[in-house]
Amino acid sequence: MALTKLNARSATALDATILTGNLPAISGASLTGITSGLTEADQWRVHSSFTGSATPITSNWERSDTTGFGKLGTGLTESSGIFSFPSTGIYIIYGQMSFQFNEEDTDSIMSIATTTNNSSYTAQSTTREADKNTDGRRHSCSCMAVFDVTDVTTHKFRLDAQSVASSNAVACSSGETITGVTVFRVGDT
Amino acid sequence: MPDSKGRPNHIEDALIHIHSRQWFTWTDSKNKIYANLRLTEKVGVDGNIVDNPITELPTEEEVNAKLVELQTEWDNAND
Repeated sequence: MALTKLNARSATALDATILTGNLPAISGASLTGITSGLTEADQWRVHSSFTGSATPITSNWERSDTTGFGKLGTGLTESSGIFSFPSTGIYIIYGQMSFQFNEEDTDSIMSIATTTNNSSYTAQSTTREADKNTDGRRHSCSCMAVFDVTDVTTHKFRLDAQSVASSNAVACSSGETITGVTVFRVGDT
Repeated sequence: MPDSKGRPNHIEDALIHIHSRQWFTWTDSKNKIYANLRLTEKVGVDGNIVDNPITELPTEEEVNAKLVELQTEWDNAND
């Protein structure tokens, strides 16, 4: 089948109906107005374990620094457990947490809580764990949230550990991410 | 964290059972020794960030004694 031939002088007024046949390859270097889908990827973790609840988890956050980690883009900023975004956009927030049950607990909760006014937070995504055993066994849980960040000064998030019995631990590590958040910017708002 | 079998083996395992909530931190998260132990300024309680109610660090002896206590409990339960 013959290649489609375009008249350079008529290329500003292309009619889709004449685009038939095999089109020639176009160099991406010549294209404009196209942006990469993922522009931000970042991971933060809590480096020290604690018992009981923390709403929010205010302390002991650090950016992942395990060998092989690589941040894409500017990355999040964190202050007292409140995370801010580097730019507007649609973000996927993945939260993970490991509970260690030293006493019976029927409802240990991890939530990704977001705010759109830099004040009141709503649990946008939640997961729950329970165990009757008291031998220190662990349960890992995770949940995700899709967050439309239209204003970086008002749209923030935090990670909550709620309703955790006072003897039960949220297990954390400074060597690997056991409890933490991973965030991707997947597109424009 | 406890070892792979769950036996407490680090002073952080003791600290989390001395008080609950995020009452302590480290000056170096990769070197969790008593000399690097500090109190946090704030803790999260019921959605609010408030002053840490714990105002004094336990002594190194108290921390080590708590760790031995937890190890003894674990050993007795797992013999």
